[in-house]
Amino acid sequence: MEHASYFFLALLWIVGWGTVGAVVTPRIYGRKDLDVSQASLAGAATGAAGGPFALLPLWYLTPELTWKWVAIPSIVIVIIFAGSFAAADPNNLCVTNSGFVATQLVNGLVIGTIYGLMALGLTLIFSILGVVSFAHGEFYMLGGMAVFYLTDVWFPGLHPLVGVLGAAVLTFVIGVIFERLFLRAMNTGQVERPGEYAILVTFGLGFFLQYLTLALVGANPKKVPRFFEYPTISLPSADNPTLLKVTAGTIKMFNLISIPSPRFTAALIALILLVLLMWFLYYTWIGKALRAVSQDRQAAAVTGINPDTMNTLAFGLGTMLAGLSGASLVQVFSWVPWVGIPASARSFVIIVLGGMGSLPGAFIGGLIVGLVEAAGAGCVPDPQRAASYIPAYGMLILTLVLLLKPTGLFGREL
Amino acid sequence: MNRTKWLWGLAAAVGLLLIAAPALLESYPYIMHIAIVAFFYAILASSWSLLAGYAGQFSFGHMAFMAIGAYTAGIFGKYVRLTTAPTGVCSEIPMGNHWLVLVNFFGDNCLELGKANMPVGTLIYRLPALPGIILGIIMGGIFGLLVGVLVLRLRRTYLALFTIGFSEIVRVTFNAEIDITNGPNGLELAPLFPNGVHLFGFYFNSANKIPPYYVMLMLFLVSMAVMYWLSISRFGLFIRSIREDEEAAAALGVHIVRYKVLVFVVTSMIAAAAGAVEAHYIGVITPNILLILQMSLVISMAVIGGLESLVGAAIGAIIIEFALEFLRTSFTIGPIVVDMTTWRLVFFGLLLMLTLRFWTNGLIYPIIQRLTRSGVAEETVAMRQAAVEGAVEGQG
Repeated sequence: MEHASYFFLALLWIVGWGTVGAVVTPRIYGRKDLDVSQASLAGAATGAAGGPFALLPLWYLTPELTWKWVAIPSIVIVIIFAGSFAAADPNNLCVTNSGFVATQLVNGLVIGTIYGLMALGLTLIFSILGVVSFAHGEFYMLGGMAVFYLTDVWFPGLHPLVGVLGAAVLTFVIGVIFERLFLRAMNTGQVERPGEYAILVTFGLGFFLQYLTLALVGANPKKVPRFFEYPTISLPSADNPTLLKVTAGTIKMFNLISIPSPRFTAALIALILLVLLMWFLYYTWIGKALRAVSQDRQAAAVTGINPDTMNTLAFGLGTMLAGLSGASLVQVFSWVPWVGIPASARSFVIIVLGGMGSLPGAFIGGLIVGLVEAAGAGCVPDPQRAASYIPAYGMLILTLVLLLKPTGLFGREL
Repeated sequence: MNRTKWLWGLAAAVGLLLIAAPALLESYPYIMHIAIVAFFYAILASSWSLLAGYAGQFSFGHMAFMAIGAYTAGIFGKYVRLTTAPTGVCSEIPMGNHWLVLVNFFGDNCLELGKANMPVGTLIYRLPALPGIILGIIMGGIFGLLVGVLVLRLRRTYLALFTIGFSEIVRVTFNAEIDITNGPNGLELAPLFPNGVHLFGFYFNSANKIPPYYVMLMLFLVSMAVMYWLSISRFGLFIRSIREDEEAAAALGVHIVRYKVLVFVVTSMIAAAAGAVEAHYIGVITPNILLILQMSLVISMAVIGGLESLVGAAIGAIIIEFALEFLRTSFTIGPIVVDMTTWRLVFFGLLLMLTLRFWTNGLIYPIIQRLTRSGVAEETVAMRQAAVEGAVEGQG
């Protein structure tokens, strides 16, 4: 960075005035007997964007806080952030090279689709069981491991999609067994304090699965070759591929954006699964029953839905979605037994950001986290330090959302 | 004989045994080492049980406070020196005929530059471990206060997620700020007693395990005493009422905010103290102590010992630490090599889940309960209930 001070001054402005806004605004609204539920979020956003120039009018006029008071300041914050970054580091690849930026953004969206699929599983579990599974990352890891063992070790030559199917079955079965053995007890009153019990027992399951896998397969990284070899396509012509150029390894669009083909395959699988899941949840009897249970347990039971069965099914489906996202990503990353830890942390961030229990929230949250990670990995100077801080960006989002708006983007009011 | 007296006698006997143990185990430094580490885990597990079991704040960030204590002590030891002459370059505070020198955080080592200004024969000391440990405890308390205030509104799952996030941010920061913390290579610390100790006419050198054993044992006993006293006082009653029902507790006049924050501060300070002493004992601290594995171990110890019992959690931690160490030996069954370093953790994961599911009170706590007969009141109630029901049936 050439003029790092610009950037850090902007950051100081955002954090400082954001904190002032978040702390003071609810008090002022409370003193005037107005609705304070959005006050800390809107105050933080307005303060971070405009500083005292925006906060003083806000405190003086105390308008009704609609979504505009969050959305417009958020855009301004992003502009301040990006602008100060560009001013601080004019030679950064993210500022000078639009092709690099576009590639990063598209890759962020591509990987975000899969994060979204995984988080969808977690949010499905939460919306029906009211439990956050702290073992979610381990099911993601198991999904990838299953594909590796099915297609590379036990049955070499097996089609990768069959391996993905096998991974889905395996994670679904483990999820169902665990739910029946351990989580069912929560509803029958066999354990005290079910909420705390669920946290600890899923945490224990994660620990158990991770070390069981480590004991069984060892710590060597596993690598699965890419699922599909794309044929070479060039549009409009072979010597002039301005629109699209597909090779075995990468897909290049408009001579600008290049996506590694395994990631593209994974995102494609994730999108197909997403459509299937939506069809299942909205157009089949069981899907409708699941959504009914998530809305009102007792009312659903009255109409003849067995909520306990739905619990089991939802947990199995949720773990299966984690397993499927692992199965589709195993061709992208090398696979070790603790690969699930950052993945589950990321899913927590996504469901909190999107709103606990909200299906669209989980998907959009996945895309946002994918974009933020891509920007963080691509733009921050001092690559080594940037790489070590990658897990922290998500956790920073999580912390901010929990403090300012615990219901997330689309969550139900608590 | 009075049962309570008998129990106090037992406790005193165990205490004496712990104090006398080094005399018997002097020639087994490995066992002494495991004992020290076991006390360390016992402090962490019992303070976590105060936080999670008594107050109901299921925090996964306990190890972060421990690491903050350890790193504070380590950074203090790395950057603060005592000299007999001013350097003229560093920031320094005169103290009588000594100078407290703050070595620069970044860039050149001003102590090396300052050597030119200092007369020949100037002595440069590291400070003893104690000020660093105290600073670590204070730092742990400050961070406990911060986290305690931030999580006031969060319950259960949200609290668990927030504290995992906090712990991860702390780990990543220690990992990335290589200039200050040495990153993944670890920060080196001086031994607890760099020049050895003279005790009762014996001399123990800095590598001897006996002084750190007593330091850790004292810390363990003191923190157990403090936490036990807190748990039987009004404080303990209040935090348990918060766990059961926050609104009801508030309605009855419990100052929720004060006690929730206070329990975070107290447990964080205890964890930080344990971390600082352990870091000085081991001699190096790495960000790996913040991995999920370590937190899982502490949770398993507390749960298996008994989540709602300080003594149970501590005993559970000591037993599990010894068990984990003795289960290290790998063996072979026919052609299969069983790598126990991994399999022992698998068993503990399974044991954790089964304990949670089938023995809510843990495995150790019921034994303690049986010894102290603290279940007597419930038994009497149950017997009377049975008698009343029997009478009713007799009438019918």
